[in-house]
Amino acid sequence: MTESALDARARLEPPRLIQGEHDDGTLNKTLNDFVWRAPPPGWFTLLLIGMAGTGVLFFAISVTLAYGIGMWGNNIPVGWAFGIINFVWWIGIGHAGTLISAILLLFQQKWRTSINRFAEAMTIFAVMQAGLFPVLHTGRPWFAYWMIPYPTVQSVWPQFKSPLMWDVFAVSTYFTTSLLFWYIGLIPDLASLRDATYSRRARRIYGIFALGWRGSARHWHHYKIAYLLLAGLATPLVLSVHTIVSWDFALSILPGWHTTIFPPYFVAGAVFSGFAMVLTLIIPARRYMGLKHVVTERHLDNMAKVMLCTGLIVAYGYVMEHFAAWYSGNLYEEHVFFSTRPRGPYAWAYFTQMFCNVVVPQIFWLRWARRNIWTLWVGAVLVNVGMWFERFNIIVTSLHQDFIPSNWAMYYPTWVDFSLLFGTICFFGTLFLLFLKYLPAVAVAEVKELNHELHGDRPYSGGPHA
Amino acid sequence: MRRFVLGEFDEPAACVEAARRLRDKGVEGLDAYSPHPLPKIDDALGLPRSKVPLVAITGGVLGAVGGYALQAWLNGILYPINVGNRPPHGFWTNIPITFECGILLAVLSIFFSAIFGFFELPRTYHPVFESERFRTATLDKCWISAETADEGAVPSLEQRFREVGAHKVHTVEESK
Amino acid sequence: MPSLKSLPIAGQQKLWRSVDEHATPPAPARELGPSTPPDDATSRRNVLQLLGASAALATLGGCLKQPDEKILPYTKQPPEITPGNPLHYATASLIDGRATGLLVTANEGRPTKVEGNPEHPSSRGAVGHLEQAEVLRLYDPQRLKVVQNRAVARSWRDFLQAAVYQARGLRLRQGEGLRFLLEPNSSPLIGQLRQRLRDTFPRARFSTWSAVPLQHIHDGAQLAFGAAYETRLDLSQASVVLSLDSDLLAALPGTLPAMAAWAEKRDPSRGPMGRLYAVETNLTVTGMNADHRLRLKPTELQRFGLALLGRLGALVPALSPYAILTQRFALAPPAAKFADALARDLVKAGRGALVSVGPRQPPALHAAAHAINTALGSACAKLAQPVLHDMDAGPRTLRQLTEEMRSGAVDTLVITAWNPVYGAPADLNFSKALSLVPHSVYRTLHYDETADRAEWVIPSLHPLESWGDARAHDGTVTFQQPLISPLYGGATEAEVLAAFLGEGDRSAYVQLRELWQSRQPDGFAMRWEKWLGDGFIEGTATKAETPAVRHDQILAAAVQVPPSDPATPGLQVNVVPDYRIWDGRFGNVAWLQEFPDPVNKLTWGNAAQISPETARKLGVAQNDGVDLGLRGTPVHASVVIEPGHADDCVTVSMGYGRRGDGEALCRGLGFDVSALRSSEAPWFGPGLSVTRMGRKAPVAQTQEHHSMEGRLIAALTTLPKLKETSEELAEHRGPTLTAHRPHEYPGYKWGMAIDLSRCTGCSSCMVACVSENNIPVVGREQVIKSREMHWLRVDRYFVGDDLGNPGVVFQPLACVHCEFAPCEYVCPVNATVHSDEGLNEMVYNRCIGTRYCSNNCPYKVRRFNFFSYTSNYGDIEKMVFNPDVTVRARGVMEKCTYCVQRIERARIRTRLEERRIRDGELRTACQQACPAEAIVFGDLNDPSSKVRKLHREERSYDLLHELGTRPRTAYLARVMNPNPELAS
Repeated sequence: MTESALDARARLEPPRLIQGEHDDGTLNKTLNDFVWRAPPPGWFTLLLIGMAGTGVLFFAISVTLAYGIGMWGNNIPVGWAFGIINFVWWIGIGHAGTLISAILLLFQQKWRTSINRFAEAMTIFAVMQAGLFPVLHTGRPWFAYWMIPYPTVQSVWPQFKSPLMWDVFAVSTYFTTSLLFWYIGLIPDLASLRDATYSRRARRIYGIFALGWRGSARHWHHYKIAYLLLAGLATPLVLSVHTIVSWDFALSILPGWHTTIFPPYFVAGAVFSGFAMVLTLIIPARRYMGLKHVVTERHLDNMAKVMLCTGLIVAYGYVMEHFAAWYSGNLYEEHVFFSTRPRGPYAWAYFTQMFCNVVVPQIFWLRWARRNIWTLWVGAVLVNVGMWFERFNIIVTSLHQDFIPSNWAMYYPTWVDFSLLFGTICFFGTLFLLFLKYLPAVAVAEVKELNHELHGDRPYSGGPHA
Repeated sequence: MRRFVLGEFDEPAACVEAARRLRDKGVEGLDAYSPHPLPKIDDALGLPRSKVPLVAITGGVLGAVGGYALQAWLNGILYPINVGNRPPHGFWTNIPITFECGILLAVLSIFFSAIFGFFELPRTYHPVFESERFRTATLDKCWISAETADEGAVPSLEQRFREVGAHKVHTVEESK
Repeated sequence: MPSLKSLPIAGQQKLWRSVDEHATPPAPARELGPSTPPDDATSRRNVLQLLGASAALATLGGCLKQPDEKILPYTKQPPEITPGNPLHYATASLIDGRATGLLVTANEGRPTKVEGNPEHPSSRGAVGHLEQAEVLRLYDPQRLKVVQNRAVARSWRDFLQAAVYQARGLRLRQGEGLRFLLEPNSSPLIGQLRQRLRDTFPRARFSTWSAVPLQHIHDGAQLAFGAAYETRLDLSQASVVLSLDSDLLAALPGTLPAMAAWAEKRDPSRGPMGRLYAVETNLTVTGMNADHRLRLKPTELQRFGLALLGRLGALVPALSPYAILTQRFALAPPAAKFADALARDLVKAGRGALVSVGPRQPPALHAAAHAINTALGSACAKLAQPVLHDMDAGPRTLRQLTEEMRSGAVDTLVITAWNPVYGAPADLNFSKALSLVPHSVYRTLHYDETADRAEWVIPSLHPLESWGDARAHDGTVTFQQPLISPLYGGATEAEVLAAFLGEGDRSAYVQLRELWQSRQPDGFAMRWEKWLGDGFIEGTATKAETPAVRHDQILAAAVQVPPSDPATPGLQVNVVPDYRIWDGRFGNVAWLQEFPDPVNKLTWGNAAQISPETARKLGVAQNDGVDLGLRGTPVHASVVIEPGHADDCVTVSMGYGRRGDGEALCRGLGFDVSALRSSEAPWFGPGLSVTRMGRKAPVAQTQEHHSMEGRLIAALTTLPKLKETSEELAEHRGPTLTAHRPHEYPGYKWGMAIDLSRCTGCSSCMVACVSENNIPVVGREQVIKSREMHWLRVDRYFVGDDLGNPGVVFQPLACVHCEFAPCEYVCPVNATVHSDEGLNEMVYNRCIGTRYCSNNCPYKVRRFNFFSYTSNYGDIEKMVFNPDVTVRARGVMEKCTYCVQRIERARIRTRLEERRIRDGELRTACQQACPAEAIVFGDLNDPSSKVRKLHREERSYDLLHELGTRPRTAYLARVMNPNPELAS
């Protein structure tokens, strides 16, 4: 982009993305400050809670492994329930990270710079939670590796027509990509941590992970393009992953699952819930870690806008589902969308979903709501809840009343189901707290560059994070 | 034994400018160091176009082809079986995995070629780290280095660095 | 959750392994293994644990050795044993003294499967659910294992000594004070023993007790003919049948042939259809099959019958004297309309008419039925001498005995009847009386309520362990031969009785052989072999007779009946035998506990069944806990709302609320109805009070939604509408549009057809499937969670707007083996795939349990092992497994395989003979058990095969055809044959 253009945009974008006058040195200090200073007592309390919850998680897991899926509430007809709900929910949350770091990068949205590291971390930790469930929910988890195409003595191979196989490839690819993308972005910052500290231990440890990075121009030269390419690849990937997740349902013949609108509407839902989760986490984080100067109100404002937009897409998805059911005149479809969900025994879940996902986001039309920390945070939390219930309705409510009335039955979750959901949330939180403490929560190198670009003597184009 | 003449600069722009002038003066073995990529440094140092995209596309294509072949061979040829009356080799149902494999291999090849190939990392030692001051290279200053083998050339090099505006100049030697 | 710990009685068993160990010191009863399972076993939470109990008890020592006495394989089988090839033996099982001829499969000396004896008149190859469960009852680890005297372990020989000593004393007094309380019995051997005991002890008395008394039948015949006769049904002749509370399709002797004959009458392609009327209180299997059903309070039935008799008096000259009854017994308009039409229909039917009355109804009604059947010259109701030694079994005789016991007149009481302490009506207080008797002997399979009060408790041998004889419902003499030597020792009824003749050392085998030798001396050896081979003696059925009807007597009795109900209007109690466990004797059989009641789909307990209207009036809902009070202390019950039930009465089924120490499986399930029965009114009566307990008491039902939601699931039509219905159905069969080229099936092409018109809903097929395919029992909790494992279920839907009196249709539903199976393409590991003969195969050891297949199965016929349901089966229980079928592990999906193991056996056999499998020679377990032949399996490529014809029938359709799954199982619409006069 040209100078004038940039100036123009800079002028067009109050409030500024980086508050106050900074040079690389001060940025270094402020952004990595949290790593060096002793964490506040609040951090320890949260960590303690998180670890306790993680303990619950692992207890629930061992109970499941020891006695079987029977410990969950699942039955016939409701073969999938909390396990898959949680899986889809967590994967969806993960997607915002990739979206922010990759897609916004390609669209040259500068405001991503200060939150992408944060969001990517969220992606990785969320996908880790999600990854637990496909394995756990199988009847014989110790044989889950049979989904990997390796030559077995059974001489049978996986069945690649099954959406579950696609899941295996999609989720593993997604996790690997997110992890590498995140790490390659971390390297320069790890190096700066290495060089900023005088403690031998810290210097060693960060040194190891920095791989001996010295910021050589000959390296930046390849680094920029590599980073850009990874972003370019991550973008279609993230779309494909949730599309494939949605195919787990769309490819079945079950009324309520068998819907062509699922892929786009699942992706939108993923971004929707992902941004909600980013907000849920970053609003307290920026406050307690003193990042307000880089994660400004404008960032929050933009994220609220994205939520509003994706929320509307999701709402459109809901409308279309019902319309298609009515328009098709299909007995079973109509039963699901006009009897089972709104009037069946799980109607309360249906209306929770509608309220949280359709009604709540509308408040973000208002500027003050987007700028007000509290409304923003509460709204985000509600959206997370709503998206969980959306999956509940898609999975449980559709299954519990399908084609043949004689086998209709209710589903009731057990304490193990709840422990797994609660446990993964705590596990996620624990990982996140550790990340905040030991790694730069903001991509320092990128912010430095952005800083130069915005207020530096001579703005310039090019560069990976433009 | 390799020697590196190092010069520190405060401003990225100055650093880039200095690099260009040094190169004009025919200084060999130049390199620059900075906390974040420097604008225009590539042509200042006259670096060739990066090969990373080439690696990426190769990896991607190999991955996709491999992914499709895997499915077509295993389900279609090696162990064909009647599954819900679907054809053993289903083109459309192979697409998702083909795509994922393409992405996966592209990503892996980019990452590993960059780290091991282009960066020649990980490494635990590099002569420039001999200078304690050099820490600032990843924090808030920019550096330029010139590599030379013969001791005699060092003073003149240092002179030239000062001329282009490096406010700190010193030389490090590769340790045995 | 399943617990792997075995019960604390481990090791104890060894002590009593042989009943001949005199040396062993008497141990207090508390320590006796079988009689005292620990408390945790009693909790219904965990049937697995109970099944696990046997791990400790099992001692396989003698089980696998063939019995010492020579038994003979079924004549149609090769005589030599080839390991891996099962043998089939003809034997019999008894319910209330009547034999059902069975053909039992034995693998390497252990019986594993009960089937009907194709030659035998009472089964004709079919078999009911109770008979099939005998094989699990045999291996019940909780069976009583040792002789006990006042809770002290003794040996059989101890008992013999005591018996001989006792008999000596008694003989001096001509048997004064000696009483026998026997089960209804038809065995010639027992008959002879009874005679010899009478000769030895002239003053001894025999009484017969059954919790399902037959005395009204007896009295009715006495009234009508002045002699004991019983009606033998022959529905092959029937065209119009009236069931007055007579469950002739499910609960009467000779049910299996009756169902077979009636099924022919319900198949529109087989000549004129029969028509069935049912007048009853609670919905019964027969009632569910009726074209017209009238629901009445139990006390109203008799009046209805007499009113009908009156109407017939106006139409049939022979019955004209009864015409007065029409005025005497005025009926409410709907009932009157029903009776008018019915009367005309019966007269029209003439020889084809049949009025059948249930054993619960008063004698006068039985007599009236005799009058009608004889007057119309019905060919369906044959009169014959009762096959039982003593029809007069019931509260009356038991009351006499109890009074004697209380008066101290009884010194020695020998009980072989099943558990009178539990079954006797409350007012008799039999248990108190029993404790007053100084010497008592009780022979039983389990340590139950009666055993607790008896002096001597003798373990009884299971039918599959014992020698004996009995007569079938038609009098055919049938033999019982053991398939396995006694697992725990014990004695047959004959051996116990013989003990008092000082012949306790003579085994039942010896006695039986001698008896029949004396009856057929010439060429005995050969006859004997043939008899045992066939399982019965041909031509021994009792002859039909035509005794004169004493119309004056009947009329006299009829006018005795009060014209209107004297009882205050209010709730009536209505006690019925339980379809699953009869009077409770099958209570400890897990298969039957988990067997859904054909009518209300209830498992693991009984309930208070009431009509929707009454529920509204009482303000109770499904699963509400209520107290049922009648005279004595109230019993706790849960409400089950039953469409089609008569208003203002509550139906409860017998056999639950058990307290016996030795029956941990059924102890505490449901509630005991004996408090609601009196010797005067053992079946029904007024004065019931229902009070809400204000808490839920959930029941375990396998089906909770009873409407078809306007979908074409189980097609139902009427004979007049058949044409247009079949035109509609034409759109629901045949190939659908598809993107894929259908797979070719050049070889065999297996398929099934289920005729809903023939199906009576008896559900015998379900037990056959469980037994054949090693299907685990999951227990009450798991059923409530909707995790039952039945591969084959019988769905029951109510149709019509009138919840009070709805139409009913059944649908046996197992995997339909779709050619375009939705379950298959979603499996990530190829664990469910298609065979080249079109079977939808489940590969257990490949399955990782994603359950996606079940989610994508529109029929939801797949079952998942949520827990390890079989891992802690004990050695004894493992003996019940069919060696041809894998026992599934935890976390694995399973479902109907079309009995692939039977297909493979047939394939092996026919390959050796170098020919194709013939139509009909290969039958699935469900098909084989079905008395109505509603299920047909075979090769769709075989142009002559029955299944192929049925697939092409105009009534046939594919379930959920529009989904394009192309099921291999076709259904044939159910056709009703309503009376135009009543059709509204």
